[in-house]
Amino acid sequence: MNPVFRPLRELGEAVRAGRLSPVTLAETFLERLEKLGPRYNAVVTVTRERALAEARRAEAEIAAGRWRGPLHGIPYGAKDLLATAGGIPTTWGAAPLRAQQFDFDATVIRRLEQAGAVLVAKLAMVELAGGMGYCQPNASFTGPGISPWGPDAWSGGSSSGSGSAVAAGLVPFAIGSETWGSILSPAANCGVTGLRPTYGRVSRHGAMALCWTLDKLGPLALTADDCGLVLDAIAGPDPRDATAVDRPFAYDDAAVAGRRFRFGVIRDVAATAEPAVREAFARSLDVLAKLGTVEDVTLADLPYEAVTRLILMAEAASAFEDMIESGAIAGLTAPEDHFTAYARDTILAKDYIRAQRLRPRVAREADRVLSGLDALVAPGRPAVASPLDREFRSVARGNIADVMGAIGNAAGLPAIAVPNGFTEAGLPTSLQFLGRAWEENTVLAAARAWQSITEHHLQHPNVH
Amino acid sequence: MSAARDPGEVDLLLALVRHRYGERLTTGQLEALRRGIEAIAEHAAALRAVPLGNADEPLPPFTAFRADE
Repeated sequence: MNPVFRPLRELGEAVRAGRLSPVTLAETFLERLEKLGPRYNAVVTVTRERALAEARRAEAEIAAGRWRGPLHGIPYGAKDLLATAGGIPTTWGAAPLRAQQFDFDATVIRRLEQAGAVLVAKLAMVELAGGMGYCQPNASFTGPGISPWGPDAWSGGSSSGSGSAVAAGLVPFAIGSETWGSILSPAANCGVTGLRPTYGRVSRHGAMALCWTLDKLGPLALTADDCGLVLDAIAGPDPRDATAVDRPFAYDDAAVAGRRFRFGVIRDVAATAEPAVREAFARSLDVLAKLGTVEDVTLADLPYEAVTRLILMAEAASAFEDMIESGAIAGLTAPEDHFTAYARDTILAKDYIRAQRLRPRVAREADRVLSGLDALVAPGRPAVASPLDREFRSVARGNIADVMGAIGNAAGLPAIAVPNGFTEAGLPTSLQFLGRAWEENTVLAAARAWQSITEHHLQHPNVH
Repeated sequence: MSAARDPGEVDLLLALVRHRYGERLTTGQLEALRRGIEAIAEHAAALRAVPLGNADEPLPPFTAFRADE
């Protein structure tokens, strides 16, 4: 059995039944990471020694009848902002920190180890998760992330390697993080599935802090079902992260055939998207009509993007105050990251607090709209992957209007991005389902239903 | 974003940045920072345009702490 581009459930069952050796599986993906990872600037560290030790342990446990579940013996990669013990660097994608090490594993890494998963790589990311305001792809000491769908196509960020490594079949799944767009963007540009959980669903202990009130961790994988299996393993409270709430989550993988969904579309949500994205989204609305109803919804007039952006800029400036004030940011890769953050000294405390005071209104308005729906749908990203040498936004003003990202992250709501076909240039487009707080199972069900009647997620780049 | 910005205020804020970090910055970088400060001022103006009442408080991340609980 060739294990590359297989869904987790299929790999897990083969491992459980003894048809697939965890050690062989680890070797296969380690070789792919070492051979193909550099092509996409996808990898910081291949964790060969740790991976083989974990794979041998999994093999012995399963042979002894102690099967831990569907991730037992399955390789994965982690964005390189998750702390790992054992001398494995955790670089945060930043050249000045390329030798940084921790003496403990992040909670997510520990939970995946408890589930029997095998860490095969620390994956590339935009330096400091993009917190210094990068505006073009070359913003990591490992080079610009490259989408396996085109040698000149950006992988998206900041979870660049988490997207490209899954898309290229270098790992069966990966962990990424999102503050605003950092899971959905690489999922879209790389043509994979990415789940941003509700804020507080997954512990961030041991993860680099970019914005304490916005940061989330979540999986990128080939399918929505894969993402559900991974979330099941990593969700839950953690005394070491006060924001990780004691709210039970169990992945509900019940069949979706025949289930009818209520989808909403924010009026003009794709109006400023690139033409190819708009066209793909228009086509997807016809397909969604086979799964349920699709209705237009209207949001109250609130400064959604200003709320999220001001919070992001202020908290990131505080999180990296030492690097900014010392001038250490001059050692970062992207030229704009050497100085852009200095402007944030001009954010007034009362404006940051005002943004935080407006946040409950954003959350209430989002919940009002979502309370009658299963999910809002929109393009996963308003643009397709940009060329590697092109700015994708101005230094200060953010991306093309991204009201879904602004609301979803300010309100801490779950969203999943799924492949939605290709442009004429062969680049992936994406569709997102955004749900009510704590409704991961609903957006996962909608995404599974989508993937049950489409084949976009079954297409893979020609990677040898 | 359409909220108005005050050029005088942007000049003052840029002077703060120049005072703190000017020795590290080129003319081109200062120009880019001016645009960044203008964007921050626009975001702030958009936030200030929404009336808030005295009881509108942030969602509370802070909780009082006792080591024995």
